[in-house]
Amino acid sequence: MPSAMELPSTPDELAAQQADSAALKDLLKDPNRWHSIPLLNYTPLHKLKDQTLVRFRGMIQDMMDPEIYLERYEVKSTDGSKRVQEGKYRDCLKITAGEVIDYNADGNVHGERRTMFVVSVPGLNDWSKEHEKQCCPQIDLASLGQSPSLAKKRPVGGEQEAMEVDGASETTFKRPCLKEIQQDREPASASNASALGSEYLLNSPLPDRPSLACMVKVYEEFDTYQLNSLVDFVGFLSVDASLDAATLDIDDCENLSELQAANPSPFLIPRLHAFGVQVLPHANPLLDKSLRQPTEICEETTYPSQLAVHKDLRMLLKLCLFDDDLAAEYLLSHLISTVYSRSEMQSIGKFALNICNLPKDCEAYATKLYKILELLLPASHYLPMTLVTLNTAAFAPKKDYETNKLVSGVLQLAPHTHLVLDETCMQQGKLEANGVHAVQHLAHLINNQELKCDFQYYQIDYQANIPVLVLSEGRSMLPSDFVLPINADAKAVELVDESLKAAHHYLQPSRLHQFRKYLTTARTSGFSVSEEHTEMIQQDFVDMRKANVKSNADDLHGLLVLSRLLGIARGKDTLDKETWQLATEFEAKRRQRIQSLPKSSAQVRN
Amino acid sequence: MARRDYAQDRESIKTFLSEFCKCDDDGKKEFVYGSQLVKLAHREQVLITIDLDDLAEFNESLAEAVVDNCRRYTSIFSDVIAELLPSYKQQEVHAKDALDVYIEHRLMMESRTRNPMEQRDERNSFPSELMKRFEVGFKPLSTEKAHSIREVKAQHIGKLVTVRGIVTRCTEVKPMMVVATYTCDRCGSETYQPVNSLSFTPVHDCPSDDCRVNKAGGRLYLQTRGSKFVKFQEVKMQEHSDQVPVGHIPRSMTIMCRGEVTRMAQPGDHIVVSGVFLPLMRTGFAQMIQGLLSETFLQAHRIICINKNDEISDKDAELTPEELEELAQDDFYERLATSLAPEIYGHLDVKKALLLLLVGGVDKRPDGMKIRGNINICLMGDPGVAKSQLLGYISRLAVRSQYTTGRGSSGVGLTAAVMKDPLTGEMTLEGGALVLADQGVCCIDEFDKMADQDRTAIHEVMEQQTISIAKAGIMTTLNARVSILAAANPAFGRYNPRRTVEQNIQLPAALLSRFDLLWLIQDKPDRDNDLRLAKHITYVHSHSKQPPTRVKALDMNLMRRYINLCKRKNPTIPDELTDYIVGAYVELRREARNQKDMTFTSARNLLGILRLSTALARLRLSDSVEKDDVAEALRLLEMSKDSLNQIHEHQKGHVPNTSDRIFAIVRELAGSGKGVKIADIMDRCTTKGFKPDQVDKCIDDYEELNVWQVNMGRTKITFI
Repeated sequence: MPSAMELPSTPDELAAQQADSAALKDLLKDPNRWHSIPLLNYTPLHKLKDQTLVRFRGMIQDMMDPEIYLERYEVKSTDGSKRVQEGKYRDCLKITAGEVIDYNADGNVHGERRTMFVVSVPGLNDWSKEHEKQCCPQIDLASLGQSPSLAKKRPVGGEQEAMEVDGASETTFKRPCLKEIQQDREPASASNASALGSEYLLNSPLPDRPSLACMVKVYEEFDTYQLNSLVDFVGFLSVDASLDAATLDIDDCENLSELQAANPSPFLIPRLHAFGVQVLPHANPLLDKSLRQPTEICEETTYPSQLAVHKDLRMLLKLCLFDDDLAAEYLLSHLISTVYSRSEMQSIGKFALNICNLPKDCEAYATKLYKILELLLPASHYLPMTLVTLNTAAFAPKKDYETNKLVSGVLQLAPHTHLVLDETCMQQGKLEANGVHAVQHLAHLINNQELKCDFQYYQIDYQANIPVLVLSEGRSMLPSDFVLPINADAKAVELVDESLKAAHHYLQPSRLHQFRKYLTTARTSGFSVSEEHTEMIQQDFVDMRKANVKSNADDLHGLLVLSRLLGIARGKDTLDKETWQLATEFEAKRRQRIQSLPKSSAQVRN
Repeated sequence: MARRDYAQDRESIKTFLSEFCKCDDDGKKEFVYGSQLVKLAHREQVLITIDLDDLAEFNESLAEAVVDNCRRYTSIFSDVIAELLPSYKQQEVHAKDALDVYIEHRLMMESRTRNPMEQRDERNSFPSELMKRFEVGFKPLSTEKAHSIREVKAQHIGKLVTVRGIVTRCTEVKPMMVVATYTCDRCGSETYQPVNSLSFTPVHDCPSDDCRVNKAGGRLYLQTRGSKFVKFQEVKMQEHSDQVPVGHIPRSMTIMCRGEVTRMAQPGDHIVVSGVFLPLMRTGFAQMIQGLLSETFLQAHRIICINKNDEISDKDAELTPEELEELAQDDFYERLATSLAPEIYGHLDVKKALLLLLVGGVDKRPDGMKIRGNINICLMGDPGVAKSQLLGYISRLAVRSQYTTGRGSSGVGLTAAVMKDPLTGEMTLEGGALVLADQGVCCIDEFDKMADQDRTAIHEVMEQQTISIAKAGIMTTLNARVSILAAANPAFGRYNPRRTVEQNIQLPAALLSRFDLLWLIQDKPDRDNDLRLAKHITYVHSHSKQPPTRVKALDMNLMRRYINLCKRKNPTIPDELTDYIVGAYVELRREARNQKDMTFTSARNLLGILRLSTALARLRLSDSVEKDDVAEALRLLEMSKDSLNQIHEHQKGHVPNTSDRIFAIVRELAGSGKGVKIADIMDRCTTKGFKPDQVDKCIDDYEELNVWQVNMGRTKITFI
């Protein structure tokens, strides 16, 4: 009876249950059980004991080489007796004093495991973090009662008691007392300074918004994990001080930095031995089934229709975009865009938007607009395109062979993390080699939705799904699928500060919830085109070509994507004539606006 | 699994080494290993490589056993060889280094002083490792295919595996102790300690009888000269990009090289390594906290650099018979062509040309003069006709390629630059895209916007296939055996048909003539084409995949391997075709004179035809060029000219239909005579890009009009 089964509370228990792995998987399917496990992301490390069951949510940033470990080994004690010990789901040997391992025993089994370097979702906005935190069960609540054996061993008490490491017979060391982990993840044993800085070890894609890191060891289905995907792992925490390579004196200097990078302090980067995993389709915690939603959200009574929310949201965006209705439509389409299919070299569904012609006299408008977007999107990042950032920041991930790590870059973002590039702060000047590469990487990302990782001897493309919004005064230097010159209403320009203030005022928590849910639902919903409408589209394209020789295949791609997004935004799941006409109308308007833009002296090739 | 009888294996190895022979061409027996043993005995050779193919021929199960338990058999082989060596010694060997002298002295001393009855401590006798001055390596079976690193798993431990990858890091070559020799400060006796792992604990107390019995407490001191060292190097290898599954990080692996296999590779080299996959129990760190973990490494037996020696291709790259059969269908030429950039619709002839560029013609070196075989193609056209996508695809498909724009992004540009090393002040040459793409394809987008100095250099590259540099005191010539695929935009935004090609792309004729084919890709609204394009796109959007086409696109990897296979052929042009080619060329020249052509025809075109036809023969995997190849080459040339010229005809308002044009050709062919052979007409017309059925139709049409008569056998027509 699976319902009677409880989640294992120690690695040994789990190893014993392996035979019944199907039942265990069923057990994890029960959302209540899943929810009850504390999130490592939001629980200070000192509140967690070594080898307790925890969860970690994040993005797979790097994958390391497989490890071969002793899955089962024989231990000989001094009195000559032997016992078999499981080595799965743990880092350290479990032997008492006086016992030795028999490395040559026939009963020893070697197994293979992989280490994933997982960082908490880069660019996760404050409200999403706040919400996830709310969803996380507090460690000193009765939630731990789920694992009775543990609760018995460690009655809920003061932190000092919780720090006690029981099982003194084990060769585990006492953990040094730590202060608030979130603020300071530096190892307490900083005296033994490691050669590599903690920033380097943590490897956050966005250095100014550092993420937490965790090394997750997985034991099965190795090939299902993809770089940059979002995952939620369940497993045993392993924070043994002896895992830190920096605390050891090793004279083998050859690979010292590599050894240190592979074995950072567990208090900086904890280890997690995973046995359960959920791949997250999106980063929005409001719609995440793997989180226990606070009750007030679940009980939301009447949920307004998609259409109504769409109208409200469009009004809001219009308000923020100098009263430009067309811009609001395009921005909304951009916000719900996603690459929904890939074929050969094309990624279909991308909607890189360039809003140009921003009024020059609105100071820091881009940042203000981003403030609004930040409230709506679960994860996003604002990147000022200044010469300094382009020339200095790391954009694409690069392999460091000294440490065998994939050093992250700004563009290593989880799917659906919006990237907002502010070109208004660009100045004239010289672009260094790094800057040229940065622009190339950005262009490649926009054009192909692929991220080029530099492995020094070659480059590998990784599929990405990062919607890019470029805000600029003139036409952007970066490519984009849709260039939309904004039609700023003179009056609205004057009142922009007031409008944005009003927008902030308008965004009440309940409304924000609606918008946030709406955006994610729209992004993940399907859309289809009927046979009859396909023919209509084909006919329209032929006519379009007749009327304008310059129109080409890209225009048709654009129209199809736009009509799809316009349809989805209005809560439809199939294309109808109305939406198609709306899309063609919008495109015509947009084209007209581009035509009226002043032509630059060196018109760039389209 | 039954245990193998090692004693028996020993015997068979002994027989194998001494008796295995191969017959050479004269039918003489050649003792492959016997002769090597002689060299080993005379210390003229250090490494003896046992080819497992030979061993399998001799005893198949033994060869399998070696693959499965390589380490043990390495030591068995080396023991057997040590045993055999003395009998292979044909003359006295001169001592080569200190260790030789040392060993000689010890042996002499031992024979002088040793009392045969005396029991000696094991430690004080010479360990076999000290005496062996050779190394044993295995060459894997030729049927063994090279794995990628991720395919090497725990079950391969202890086995001989072959792995392919790229070197990312190597340590310096260091001496590693194999046998430590100590002398005692009291009794003077020597103690030997064989070392098998990466570290060892030195012995301190003298184990000799003198010291033990007398309790003298003699201390041991390490003798550097008497110890034996081998060269040792640790190499880090990483998977190559084509071995990494989508969305994964390349894996790496440590390789330990000892003795003769050191210094075989440098970072950046592509290598194939055969070696034994072993777990490594490190001491210290590993023992203390990570006792659960064991690192693995590959003990190298053989390292081959692929980029230095292109001949040795690994088994992966070979086409299987099924794949060859699939490729060998009738329409393979068209199929291969459509498989190039399948997402770009149409442009079949352009794709065919690009396919030939990838395959390349045959290089010729008559009397020191070098005639390039590489095919250069220039694509021109209006903005937005997928030129760049075609270039991008080709650069991805080609094994070695560089993609760059005319306005090269770095200071190196296209050719090469001399750089001053900021640290040492040394001048170094840094290759640009053209040099880096040596023996590959260099795709240059925005060819028209190229920097002037690059433009002058490219003249040399395109004909002589070298780059000469005279900069900052460095004068040198670098190889740049590249095929150039260029894309250019018209100077006036769109192609202006009233102007010549040179005016349109603002490139000198000297440069343009170096391109074997020039294509103008135009984007003209055409109802049928547009509808098909629209259908294609809507299908992709609604079904998330490419629409099923008549011919299924081939996998990129398969294409790559097939092209590689083609490149190995070196077809020749048979003499009987010479007349045909010469005739066709003369015809081309004459035509170019008669019509006010916007292109030009020069001797380079003749070479171009030869290149294209040899490339076509290569594509068929044939060793000689056939008439059809030449005809197709001529057709492609004609089509490429057509693409440039066709606009004029529109302007003239008179569009001769196909039959009319064929008729003109026939008229010309007949000259003053009355009869013309139909075979001749076919030949001429196909070179002009007409299809046989069009010719047939023309003949029928004009017969109906009573212009000419066709004889019964349909071999000849006679004008009336």
